[in-house]
Amino acid sequence: MPPIIEISGLRKTYRRSFRQPHNALDGLDLEVAAGQVHGFLGPNGSGKTTTLRALLGLIRVDGGTMRIFGEEVPHRLPQVVGRIGAVVESPQFFKHFSGRLTLQLLAESAGIPKDRVESVLEQVGLRDAAKASVKGYSLGMRQRLAVAQALLKQPQLLILDEPANGLDPAGIHHMRELLQWLAHEQGVTVVVSSHLLSEVQQLCDSMTIVSRGRRIVDGSVADIIAGHSGASLSVRFPDAGSLPEAAEALTTAKAGVGAVVERDRLVVTNAPEAAWVTQTLAEAGIYLSELVTQTKNLESVFLELTGTAPQPGQTVQIGQSVAVPETASPIEVPVAVSPDAGPQAGSEAGSEAEEAQR
Amino acid sequence: MNLFKAELRRIARRRLTLVFGILLLAGVVGLAVILASISSKGPSEETLAEAQAQADEMNEQNPDYLDCVEDESYFEDNEMYGWVETDPEYEGMSHKEACEHAVGGWWAEDFIWTYTFDFENEGPFVIVGVMIVAGLVMMLLGSSAIGAEWSSGGMSNLMVWHPNRMRLWGVKLGAALAACAAGVVVLAALAFGLLVLVASLRGEVGVLDGVWWEDTLELVLRTGVLALGMTLLGASLAMLGRHTAIAGGVIAGYLIVGELIVNMVSMNLSMDFPERLSLYTWVGAWITGRVELYGAYSGFNDMTPEVMVITWGDAGVLLGAIVLLFGALATWSFQRRDAA
Ligand SMILES: Nc1ncnc2c1ncn2[C@@H]1O[C@H](COP(=O)(O)OP(=O)(O)OP(=O)(O)O)[C@@H](O)[C@H]1O
Ligand SMILES: [Mg+2]
Repeated sequence: MPPIIEISGLRKTYRRSFRQPHNALDGLDLEVAAGQVHGFLGPNGSGKTTTLRALLGLIRVDGGTMRIFGEEVPHRLPQVVGRIGAVVESPQFFKHFSGRLTLQLLAESAGIPKDRVESVLEQVGLRDAAKASVKGYSLGMRQRLAVAQALLKQPQLLILDEPANGLDPAGIHHMRELLQWLAHEQGVTVVVSSHLLSEVQQLCDSMTIVSRGRRIVDGSVADIIAGHSGASLSVRFPDAGSLPEAAEALTTAKAGVGAVVERDRLVVTNAPEAAWVTQTLAEAGIYLSELVTQTKNLESVFLELTGTAPQPGQTVQIGQSVAVPETASPIEVPVAVSPDAGPQAGSEAGSEAEEAQR
Repeated sequence: MNLFKAELRRIARRRLTLVFGILLLAGVVGLAVILASISSKGPSEETLAEAQAQADEMNEQNPDYLDCVEDESYFEDNEMYGWVETDPEYEGMSHKEACEHAVGGWWAEDFIWTYTFDFENEGPFVIVGVMIVAGLVMMLLGSSAIGAEWSSGGMSNLMVWHPNRMRLWGVKLGAALAACAAGVVVLAALAFGLLVLVASLRGEVGVLDGVWWEDTLELVLRTGVLALGMTLLGASLAMLGRHTAIAGGVIAGYLIVGELIVNMVSMNLSMDFPERLSLYTWVGAWITGRVELYGAYSGFNDMTPEVMVITWGDAGVLLGAIVLLFGALATWSFQRRDAA
């Protein structure tokens, strides 16, 4: 089946007076297959919302092509919009209307039967709050209303920008069940952008991670995590004094192997396998007390790939995530970067970014 | 069509619509009540006689007046008053009345404080006034319907639902104009009804013949078009500025500061017909059909000033061009600009 969403080489430049133009999207690619929950991830300001806005015809782009259901957008958007439900960045509604009236007006405007309004209100748990005016809604209630309006059309493609934003645990759980049900039972394709990585890990089938307006990786969530787990080993010794010695032994034994002392343990990266580590250390006369393969979760993979892992005493600034070279696209995942290399890569990218801004 | 109905309902369900609606209705009813209370069907015989006595008393202190009353040929004999014989205003007056007017200077009306509402002559202008106020309010409502949609953030959501921007803008504009037309027509009809009622109860209705209807309809129709144009302008400004306050601010700013500047410029600039710089002149010409501006006296001996005539056609071209210009700008900006 052809992808539901196909974006290639999307560019969006914000021109600012007296300042360098800013490339919010810098040749972004995105493919979303049918019937999946697709996660759209990236650090703040990496261009997720911009991409979704462009896809929905809210902003003009400076280059690239976009297709939804095989139709060129935004040109053919009016033809396909009836099949798309969308929430873009905590949408606002007219404050003095009730939730129900807001939905009724939208339904009426698109010729959707009135009873859909009640059923989506029920679906997002706003039945009892529907009479109240939106002004009095909490953040989570507004978010639910936004999702309700996206569901109103019974869409075949659901685009949600940070749907979990402001939701309570029950709401998040419910949202997850709802989206999975929609995707897996109803055949709806769902695209969610999110920062809740544990949530994405549970919710999504596939994902795309972007940084600074470019895709850094995409594929199934399981594959991406698997491709990055086991890359590092944590080794402990009975005597902390042998840490530098052990690091020395490992790094000299084989080129490319990284060993960094982290408090009372040694983090080894790029080692061929665990057995090689024990053997090498034993040969050097050092005996270890514990060796653990560090399985990563999506969070560490994300931090590593985007180069936004925190450094002690420093905040990663917006726009300091990794820059992907312009050439190869889609870009190969930089495999087995040591976790400690992440922040360094980050700070390098940061200085580049600063330079670019001057 | 669905979208149009939904947009109309969106306007109708706003609280501002309710507030403005009540204010306008209350205003028209209040106006009718005030007119009814100050108007009366002419003075009674008694008050008339009393007033006449007062006028006589004042006039009798003037010896010339007494001479005039006594002398039937006072005007012919006195060359100072020779003109009275030929003045059409004095035709049909009794000699005493003529003396009152020409010589004495006091007459009964000076001592009677009555006002009779005359629907035939005054009604149309009151209705036009009501329509202009209604048009201003509808302009505010129309621009606020679009401005509030932008500032609340509802516009981008609506654009996701209806990605064809030209259609969305057309429908929104159509709904604002329809609401404006409905409001103005309802208020004009209400004003008409109430004023006729007031006139027949406490004033004079007069003869509403074919010519009257023709003139009145023309006046009312042009005012209605003006109201629609104002709404279009307000909606366009709100679309351009993406905020109601911007539309309101631009219009209020022009009407206050703009006119002030126009006045200052025209005072310091030696140009002919400086009033033509002011929009009020053109709006006046559009409504009344014709405005004459008097320029400086053109020559030494020539005592007739130069006259510039602005007809409603000229005014229509200028005002229409202004409205269309902003309408086109708004359309272009909505088509091109990113929805922030
Ligand atoms: N209207 C705008 N004018 C100028 N720059 C903008 C505008 N909108 C977005 N940007 C820039 O585009 C970049 C991408 O922004 P975008 O909102 O797409 O980020 P995001 O990935 O959605 O971030 P977040 O995770 O915080 O939601 C940012 O650097 C931002 O500064
Ligand atoms: Mg965003």
